[in-house]
Amino acid sequence: MNYPFWDIPYLGSGWVIGIIAIFHVMISQFAVGGGLYLPLAERKALRECRNDWLAELVGYSKFFLILTGVFGTISGVGIWFAIGLTNPEATSTLIHNFVFGWAIEWVFFVVELTTAMVYYYTWNKIDAKLHLVVGWVYAGASVCTLVIINGILTFMLTPGDTWLGVAGTGHEASKFWNAFFNPTYWPSLLLRVCVCASLAGIWALISASRIDGSKHAALKSSLVKWSVKWLVPSFVAMPFLFIWYLFMVPQTQRALLTLGIDTMGTGTFSTVTRIALLIIMTSATIIGVAYYLAYRNPTDFNTSHAVAILLLALVATGAGEYSREMLRKPYVIGRWMYSNGVRVPYAIKIDQDGYLAHSNWVWNGADTSYSRGEAIFRGECGACHTLNGYRPLAKLLAGRDRANIESFITMLHEYKPDSPYHHFMPPMVGTQQDVDDLANFLNVQVNPPAAGGQKPMQTAQK
Amino acid sequence: MTTKTMASNVYGWMDERLGLSELAAFARKKTVPVHAQSFWYYWGGITLFLFMLQCFTGVLLLVYYRPGVEAYESVRQITFVMNFGWLIRSAHAWAANLMMFSILVHMFSVFFMKAYRKPREFGWLSGMVLLAIAACFGFSGYLLPMDELSYFATKVGLQIPVAIPWIGPAIANMLRGGPDVTEFTVQRFFALHVVVLPALFIPLLAFHLWLVQRHGNAVPESEEAKPANERKSMPFMPNFLRKDIAMWIISLNVLALLASVFPWALGKPYDSLAPAPMGIHPEWYFMSPFEMLKLLGSVLPGEAGEIAGMLLFTLGIVLWILIPFYDTSKESGRRARIAHYFGLLAVFALVATTVIGYWTIR
Repeated sequence: MNYPFWDIPYLGSGWVIGIIAIFHVMISQFAVGGGLYLPLAERKALRECRNDWLAELVGYSKFFLILTGVFGTISGVGIWFAIGLTNPEATSTLIHNFVFGWAIEWVFFVVELTTAMVYYYTWNKIDAKLHLVVGWVYAGASVCTLVIINGILTFMLTPGDTWLGVAGTGHEASKFWNAFFNPTYWPSLLLRVCVCASLAGIWALISASRIDGSKHAALKSSLVKWSVKWLVPSFVAMPFLFIWYLFMVPQTQRALLTLGIDTMGTGTFSTVTRIALLIIMTSATIIGVAYYLAYRNPTDFNTSHAVAILLLALVATGAGEYSREMLRKPYVIGRWMYSNGVRVPYAIKIDQDGYLAHSNWVWNGADTSYSRGEAIFRGECGACHTLNGYRPLAKLLAGRDRANIESFITMLHEYKPDSPYHHFMPPMVGTQQDVDDLANFLNVQVNPPAAGGQKPMQTAQK
Repeated sequence: MTTKTMASNVYGWMDERLGLSELAAFARKKTVPVHAQSFWYYWGGITLFLFMLQCFTGVLLLVYYRPGVEAYESVRQITFVMNFGWLIRSAHAWAANLMMFSILVHMFSVFFMKAYRKPREFGWLSGMVLLAIAACFGFSGYLLPMDELSYFATKVGLQIPVAIPWIGPAIANMLRGGPDVTEFTVQRFFALHVVVLPALFIPLLAFHLWLVQRHGNAVPESEEAKPANERKSMPFMPNFLRKDIAMWIISLNVLALLASVFPWALGKPYDSLAPAPMGIHPEWYFMSPFEMLKLLGSVLPGEAGEIAGMLLFTLGIVLWILIPFYDTSKESGRRARIAHYFGLLAVFALVATTVIGYWTIR
């Protein structure tokens, strides 16, 4: 028991990661896409002797540098803080496996940040061809950061049989490359490259929308139209890449999605399917809106229009990241670690010894059933549920009495393959005493004692 | 004959009979002002789009909905048995809410742009009647599933007209089809919802649109002050229309998002003998008037207070409706300032009482 518990009431710690991550992805993928956009735009301007484009690109590269260099890096560090506090065991597993991968990525980060600054500060100060080379170096370094982080992110969904064969032996890092080039690596990489290109176009529209269309009609029109074209690769390739990606996802995980598709007609489809539908709907909306507002009306295209497209992109990105996370359920690392940090092979041992004997979270409450139940709730349920906010257990269990709550927990404890919760929830691990303790704690939340009765004290209130 | 020639021939045939070229030329000539507040021009179009969606989904629901004693069962079948019935019902319910929201945004943007002044008084008045009918659509449609929540919310809602002196109880009884909310009430509300209200709404909407077309878009005072040659505009066809379409696509996306992620729930069937469930409250767009009447009732207790509250509330609405006849001058004088503050007060009262209403739900 060495980790302090990070209690985020109502929102839940998962959403803290989610919010930072979605914000970060919007910027970091722009850092990659924009890294390709800038040198390609500069090359086009040089070839066509478009000085007005070059002048505009100077301003755009400043915007790019500030957004990616400041907000991108800060939010990236923010993710580290959040995942370390929320799921230290999973973070530890990733570090132990990918420490050299991350070291290489940090080298690319340094190159990326340096060249971004050199690129902006040397406009019109060094030879145009050399300046373009700096842009290409930036583009290469930023693509490399994606190439690496994609390996780690996809590993969490599909670590692959080879790595799973050595997991828990202390030799996991020996299968680094198998873990890195895991089954979903390539479709995910290509999907993300398409998204990066789209985000580059969308962010560029923000910049281009600020050009006065009445004074610089030709410049605005050409830049807006060129930026919209960056959305085309996504529009064409993403449906195929998406199918390829899903094909590589293990059948057990894909079942969540197919179950959702099968039951869509009756409206009972799974959350992951609903959110995945949002990606498709919003992506189609982005294309339609970009076509009508930007491509067909480039000179009238203003910042409000551009922000509307950016907000739609935020919805699509958020939905995409949320679906990816949901598809991993009930694991945080596929088939190896459940979303609450319990390693799959250790579940049996915890069932024998009790959850608190193996819990990694600090617990200094009184040795009462309620207090033990609270500690078990935090460790086993708190990664995905809150009491009264996001996925609120007080509401989800409402209407059940003590016996009913216990039978529900027992069902999760038995974890039979035909249980409907088997697909997306980890088992409740621990002894019968743990089941009782958790039931006691949850019962007080769902059926609070009558007014005047003494309410048990929570550890957090001590 | 090539496809192009064929299309041209068909167009020529239709043009000769329907005058399509004149219509196209007219649409090309029409312009829309461009300025910093142009964004607010889209809300009328968004409302229209949502109304069309309401009609489309409403007709689909009509195929399976059975008013009267079978009302709840038919909605249950639509929601849980018919393929994609849940989607159509959710889209209908969410579009209704979005439409009320866009009407309110449209109304306040018209108010603050002073677009009710001469010669647009009828545009404002017809808009007010359309808002009232839309609210009636909402109130009558809410009861149709006849679940626990809609039953008790309607029961509470129909207590409001009872407070009208002398004629109130008779009006409430007529709406209910008796002293209680029963299947007869559903039958009446259904007739209102699908026949009477559309019959009033659609011609009035046509009149409203014709007035917009006749007088064009109003511009804010800051734009009016500019000389004509400094004002910017864009052709309605195709520039503004394309932007309108983009806004419609966004609205459709928002609707699809709400309908699929938060499908409209169906509660338990109503039981007239059961006590009202906890937390019963009107829909958000009725929360403000409901709360205002409640607050006025607590300030002025008793029957006399109830009547005084109703009168005060009615006076506020009458003043709001008659604003074009008070704030008439194009110059920004004292009356214009008072009208502006009146608008700000209305926004504040609407938001504050809605928040208080939700805050105090028990």
